[in-house]
Amino acid sequence: MYAALKALAEPRRREILRLVWAGELPATDIADHFADVTRSAISQHLSVLKEAGLVTERRDGTRRLYRAERDEMKKLRRFLDEYWTIGLERLRDVAESAQREKEKH
Amino acid sequence: MAELVREIMIDATPETIWPFLTDPDKHVEWEGTVAEIDPRPGGVYRVLVAGEFQSGGEFVEVVPMEKVVFTFGWDQEGHPIQPGSTTVEITLHPEGDKTRVRLVHRGLPDDAVEQHGHGWGHYLGRLAVRAAGGDPGPDRRPEEAG
Repeated sequence: MYAALKALAEPRRREILRLVWAGELPATDIADHFADVTRSAISQHLSVLKEAGLVTERRDGTRRLYRAERDEMKKLRRFLDEYWTIGLERLRDVAESAQREKEKH
Repeated sequence: MAELVREIMIDATPETIWPFLTDPDKHVEWEGTVAEIDPRPGGVYRVLVAGEFQSGGEFVEVVPMEKVVFTFGWDQEGHPIQPGSTTVEITLHPEGDKTRVRLVHRGLPDDAVEQHGHGWGHYLGRLAVRAAGGDPGPDRRPEEAG
């Protein structure tokens, strides 16, 4: 999970994920999408995404094909659920403390 | 489109909880470090989360002691969840001396989760601390929190 969140902190890696979300793409097509980034930088981004489990790689001869690992994204979805859960728990803590203060006076 | 629903029971009255939703000084006691909140339809809702992630939107509906609805997004250029693109509804339901608080976050794109991961990655660490029974302390920038 930490690896996934860290991987997603980089805007180009998020862009790559969007590209391979709907279907598999070869590394060359992904690199062509980024006019201002070197191929080796894209290759590095793909490694980070792969290590984080966010994309899977398949070899077809000399080509490397990538696609998004949607199950991993579902885990991040659960993380978002937790974000609100924590927020509400904090709200509960401060509101209950305020209620106790009121009742004292 | 996806939605999230979260509920919590709070041992306090709606009158006590309400200011935490609508008063900027009270809001930052539970979420964000800087809040700009004008709780009336069309009024601004902006909360700086973890000192660095600016959420923004505006109020759609405000029913005192009962309900707030505001639009929600991230105020960052190019972010797919722009301010105003999703909606958060928080309702207060009194039950005896307690209040059930229900939060519904609507309009989340199904594939936008990775974008939230960016802004909310910071919270994972807090979650881990909390899950272990610890206190994550006040909400601060990740670098300050160490």
